Order: sequence, then structure tokens, then C-alpha cells
Amino acid sequence: MTLLLDIISTAAILFIVAAGLLAIFGVLKIINFAHGAWLTVGAYCAVVTTELGLNPWFALPLAFILGALLGGLTERFIVRPLYRRPLDAILATWGLGIVIGQLITLWFGRDVHFTTALMQGTVDVLGTSYSFYRLFAVLAALAIGLGFAFLLDGTRLGLSAQAVIMNEALARALGIDTEKVRLATFMAGAGLAALAGVLLAPMTSVDPNMGVPWLTGAFMLVMVAGTSFGALAVACLLFGAAQVVVSTFLSPILGGITVAVLCAITLRIRPKWFARA
Amino acid sequence: MSDAAKLQLNGISSGYGAVDVINEVTLSVRSGEIFALMGKNGMGKTTLLKSILGLIKLTRGSVAVDEKSIAGRKPSELIACGIGYAPQEQPLFQDLSIRDNLRLALTSDRKLAAAQERVYGYFPFLKERLSQKAGTLSGGEQKMLILARALMLQPKLLLIDEISEGLQPSVVSKIADVLKHEAASNGTTILLVEQNLDFALSIADRWAVLKLGAIDDQDTNGPDSRSRVLQHLKI
Ligand SMILES: Nc1ncnc2c1ncn2[C@@H]1O[C@H](COP(=O)(O)OP(=O)(O)OP(=O)(O)O)[C@@H](O)[C@H]1O
Ligand SMILES: [Mg+2]
Repeated sequence: MTLLLDIISTAAILFIVAAGLLAIFGVLKIINFAHGAWLTVGAYCAVVTTELGLNPWFALPLAFILGALLGGLTERFIVRPLYRRPLDAILATWGLGIVIGQLITLWFGRDVHFTTALMQGTVDVLGTSYSFYRLFAVLAALAIGLGFAFLLDGTRLGLSAQAVIMNEALARALGIDTEKVRLATFMAGAGLAALAGVLLAPMTSVDPNMGVPWLTGAFMLVMVAGTSFGALAVACLLFGAAQVVVSTFLSPILGGITVAVLCAITLRIRPKWFARA
Repeated sequence: MSDAAKLQLNGISSGYGAVDVINEVTLSVRSGEIFALMGKNGMGKTTLLKSILGLIKLTRGSVAVDEKSIAGRKPSELIACGIGYAPQEQPLFQDLSIRDNLRLALTSDRKLAAAQERVYGYFPFLKERLSQKAGTLSGGEQKMLILARALMLQPKLLLIDEISEGLQPSVVSKIADVLKHEAASNGTTILLVEQNLDFALSIADRWAVLKLGAIDDQDTNGPDSRSRVLQHLKI
């Protein structure tokens, strides 16, 4: 039972981290390598609220707003000028990620920080007592997934975003303000990354490079899932399960690289498998 | 029809890289007229329409709509103020339904129902198949959907790129009727890019031939127009 709950909550956390990356990839067709840095920024929002003795929940809106603002600036001043050179845009986000990491180090030092948990204690799930907080992460992932589903299928902005994902030139020719859709997506994606950072902070330790392994995993998951949130959810469940099993029965260190390795193997043998799912 | 220019191109040039595909085109389309623009493959017809809409940047010259320059306006702004476009290349969202393809012509759903009713009047089959994916329509049905979508916002100026390509004669004459009706009842000005000169000249008030990105010849539509245009389209 604990294993099952571990699998579900790990998948949920992977999904929260990867969702923003996937949204940006779908609309802008670039991988935002600053995603890990924004996640770190979010985690440090939790550190700041902890150190100031504020209510830890306050870190959630703070991180989302800060992340969205940073994302908006990045889109406007780094990504948009490189619109016709996507490879350069990707490299630029990578560089930006390094710069943000260094700035955080300058400000907070290299030390590991810990944050106040948003909620404590355990709950009883069918006879197994389990961390309340990890279950909360599952709810958060569900909310994010359903939120995206509603946004894409139920709103005008979502329809415009779908149009840009499918055929940007046509979307523009039909009068959709594609620049606005790109900006909004980038802001939402960055905000989500920072939000993920807050949610992760109590489960791990916070340091300036904490985003890197998450970025790697999320990047591989997005490569496997393409532009579909459904496929992303399935991929997170399957590869998250593998990660938990490997961590539990072999070694946590191997577990840490399981997602990336399995995704690479999937891409090698069945590149279209998830995209169709 | 009046003599005022609905659309005025003043020596515009544009292209995709170092070389311009369109070379200093000056053209005036009068309010309420149907203007046929013909020319062989690769002469720059599609490029010209994209340049008018601001989808491609001009390297020289200017475009005026209703005698006001539209320099620096985004495509989204131009379309919102009443320019309809029926593109030639990848013109539909294949994986979206007919309904969503039509919806995307408007920026909000407020006027959707009325606009849909209007285009169902022209193409009733759309109404019965709203949830069918656009990519699964036949070639001819797709063309009708493209035109229907361009008519959704009741444009004052309509840019149409080779809508008759690959259509059976009865559908071509259906489309001719639709365009004539739009021009007559709404005063819509139509710039019609065509290869099918019989279709084009059957509804056009005036015509021009584009050759290597420049206007080669133009005139009012008359008895000798067909042979003159044909002369230009010969290899
Ligand atoms: N995206 C592009 N990048 C580079 N060159 C292009 C591009 N699109 C068109 N061209 C070139 O511009 C020229 C004019 O193309 P355009 O599509 O405007 O011709 P057209 O008159 O519409 O032809 P057709 O009758 O075949 O539709 C062609 O030589 C074409 O190769
Ligand atoms: Mg063309």
C-alpha cells in the first residue's frame, strides 16, 4: 500500500514539475532550460517565508507571481527576439538558468536550507498511515491537470493556444494574437515551475542547484509525451512507478536517474508511442 | 461600387530572405469591387496577400485600407477591423472540428451563433457536421469551410487565395454565387487570387496579372480580357 501511494505521489510531483515545461514546449516549440532555475526560485520563496516566520502557505502565491513575472520578462526580452532562431532561444534559456542559479547562490549562499512544511502529520489510507503532505501533492497535481484540461477545452484562450500549438502560421493569419498567447503561456509555465518548487521544498532540501535533476527528468518526460497532457500524465505514472520501485528495492541513487534513462530508452525504440496514447 | 480605393498598395516590395519576391507593386482595389489577380505558379500571388495582411514584412512601400496607412499594424488588428482571409497553404486546423475552425474566425463567442447562421445559409452541410474534424472533410468540402470561415466576421475586405483549386464545376459556380452575393449585398470588396480564369473573369469587375512579383497587365473586365489574360499565362 505504501508502495502504491509512493508511486502515485511521485507521479504527481513529476507531473507538477513537467506540466509547465510541456505547456511552453507545446505553444513555443522550445524547451525552456530555465525551468529548473524557476523551480529553485519557487523553493527559495518557501525559504524566505520560513525565515521571515510567515505563514508557509503564503509562499504559494508569492512563487507563482514571481515566477510568472520572471517568465514574462524572459519571454519578452530573451525568447521573443530569438523567435526565428529557436535553437539560440533554447541556449539562451539554458544560460539564463545558470545566471539565476548563480544569483541565488550570491544571495543565499551554497548552504542547504529547510522549510516549514505546509501541513504536517499523517493520514490513514485503508489501514496504512501516510504523509498527509504527499497526498496533498496528489490533489495539487489533479487540480493542475484538470485546470489545464478545462483551460484548453473550455475557454477561448485555450482554443487559441491549441490553434497556435497545431499551426502557428494559420493562427496568426486568422487574427489570433500569437504573441499574446506565447507570453501568457510562458508566464503560466514559469509560474507553475515556481509553484512546483514551493511544493517540493518540504520534501527535499533546498539548495541553488536543486532544480537541475528535476529539469532533466521533466525534459525527458516532455520529450516522451510530446504536447499532450494526457500522455504526460501516463508517462509520469509509468516512469514514476519505475523510479519508486528502483529506489525502494535497488538503490535511491539509481532511482534518481530511472526516469531519465527509461525515457531515453523509450525515445530510442518507440518515439511515437506516448504521443498516440 | 465607388471610385474610392478600399485597398491601395503603394510600391510595395517584400520577400522571404535577401531577395524580394514582390517588386514595387502598386495596385488599387475599389470599394465594393471584385478584383481578380492572376499569374502563373510561383509569381508571388500568395506572397502579395500575406504582405497585405502583415504576415510578411514589407521591405518597401505601404499599404492603405480605406485610405489610411496600415503600417505597423499587427495581423490580429487588421483582421479584427474587417479583413477576411482564405489562405491557400495549410488553410485548416485538421485536428479541430468544423465548429472550432469556425469559432477561430472570431475573437469571442458572443457573435458566434449569428455568424454561423449566416454561413450555414451559404453552405448548409456545415451545420450537420459541426463536430467532424476538418481534416476528414473531402477536398471540396474543405474549400467551402475555408471560405465559410473567412465570411464569419462579415469582412469588408476579403482576400481569397485560389479557392477554386481542385473543385468540381458545380462547386466552383456555387462559390461564384456566394462571392457575388457577398459583394452585392454587403458591399464586400474582394481581392481574388485565381488560376481558374473562367471562374475569375465570370465574377470580376477588374483584373491584373502578376509576373515575377510585378504587375504585368491590368484592365477592366471586358470581352477581350480572356484572351489577354490567357496570353500572359502561356508558358
Ligand atoms: N516561405 C517561403 N520561403 C522562401 N521562399 C518562398 C516561401 N514561400 C514562397 N516562396 C517563394 O516565393 C515565390 C512566390 O511564391 P508564392 O507562393 O507567392 O507564389 P504563387 O504565385 O502564390 O504561386 P502558386 O500559384 O503556385 O500558388 C516562389 O518562388 C516561392 O518559391
Ligand atoms: Mg499561391
